[in-house]
Amino acid sequence: MKMKKNQMKRYLTIGAISSAAALAAIQSCAAGEETELVVFAAASMTETLTEIADLYKEAAPDVTLIYTFDSSGTLKTQIQEGADCDLFISAAQKQMNQLDITADAEVNTEGLDFVLEDSRFDLVENKVVLAVPEGNPAEIESFEDLGTDKLSLICLGNEDVPVGAYSEEILTNLGILDELAESSKITYGSNVKEVTTQISEASVDCGIIYATDAFSAGLTVVDEAGADLCGQVVYPAAVMKSSEHPDEAKAFLEFLTTDEAAAVFENVGFTMVKAGE
Amino acid sequence: MDWYPLYNSLRIALISSVIVFFAGIFAAYYIARLHPVLKGILDVFLTLPMVLPPTVVGYFLLLVLGSRRPFGSWFYEVFHTKLVMTWYSGIFAAVAVAFPLMYRTARGSFESFDETLAFSGQTLGLSNAYIFWHIRMPACRQGILAGVVLSFARALGEYGATSMLAGYTPGKTATISTTVYQLWRTNNDTLAFRWVMVNMAISAVVLLIVNLLERREGQRRT
Repeated sequence: MKMKKNQMKRYLTIGAISSAAALAAIQSCAAGEETELVVFAAASMTETLTEIADLYKEAAPDVTLIYTFDSSGTLKTQIQEGADCDLFISAAQKQMNQLDITADAEVNTEGLDFVLEDSRFDLVENKVVLAVPEGNPAEIESFEDLGTDKLSLICLGNEDVPVGAYSEEILTNLGILDELAESSKITYGSNVKEVTTQISEASVDCGIIYATDAFSAGLTVVDEAGADLCGQVVYPAAVMKSSEHPDEAKAFLEFLTTDEAAAVFENVGFTMVKAGE
Repeated sequence: MDWYPLYNSLRIALISSVIVFFAGIFAAYYIARLHPVLKGILDVFLTLPMVLPPTVVGYFLLLVLGSRRPFGSWFYEVFHTKLVMTWYSGIFAAVAVAFPLMYRTARGSFESFDETLAFSGQTLGLSNAYIFWHIRMPACRQGILAGVVLSFARALGEYGATSMLAGYTPGKTATISTTVYQLWRTNNDTLAFRWVMVNMAISAVVLLIVNLLERREGQRRT
């Protein structure tokens, strides 16, 4: 099959014109007042931040928010590897510390310096819960039940996912982590949303997730980890040094502490942490 | 080093290769004889899993096999076994993605088969089954063999649909590919690298075997 010469020419012309048009479109965008903020946030903030984006559109119409939701560990790796990111909201202090030069060298082992000075603060607090599929087929009622024969399979985040680290802490405090791992009763998800889906699909008997994710997915919560089982679950937020729009980024972080945004967070079960006050 | 993922991967790949071998050649044999329109439709449908992202395949499989989906919940009620999050869930995923490779290569071979050979067999009073296994299959040996090897390699390397269907339970559903991903995610580069080498070694051996077989084939013909 040979393409006719003049037909070929026509295609080439169309191609040239359309690419020129595309280029012009890109340039005109850059020339406008629009600012794009790339926000990397813990997967557990998917619903709340998406809702807040709509509110922020009214508060700051010139700013477009571009979200990436994943496990904080994955996001931390992506930031470290040079991903464009203006703001980072982590579901645990560990991942933020690993990027913060002012943090303990034992945590920030690689001496990474990504966090903009004085922009970091603690935003919200969450609770770690034990959630079960609809109808609770395995009849699991508490964290203590995880050590019994009722449990055949539980889904946790892996150790790099904040909720996975919290889960390991809980199971270690209960003294059943090794036992569960050795009897292959643990399946690992790579972020909290994956764990949530495994529970709601009833692929597992139960899973350990955040109160907010259980709420958003409409799952039944049978137990909540108290202070004796698991440390505080605090979400730090900070502007990244590499940001080209640090002022806009700071403004958005401030907006997250306003009553308007707080209402969205509190609606799904987050508790607001008042920064440095 | 815990060798379970190797054992599990090989077992999933071998079982799926056997299933895909029979399913692939029979589908190829019967579909090759259908009306062109029907053949075209079935062809697209059966080849789709090869070109779709494995996550899409996994999604469809979950819609059928998931514990709250019609078939999955029916199966659980009757057999008290889940079809997801078990080691054999990986077989469903591997079969779905490897089947088109077997089917297409087998159909290609069957289409280039000289049908007069089959007709001569019939005039000699041979049964269709005999003609199939003793005349058609040997004549199409090379294509069939290529299909089997490709299917095995694809089944061994399957990640996307497997991770959705079987998850990652060390010592139960972990395969080489899901293990590499989890080890990389949890910053265990040394061990991840070791598994990568294991996987490369297996794939290299498979390719070596194919080359050897092809050479033998070539010698036989000359």
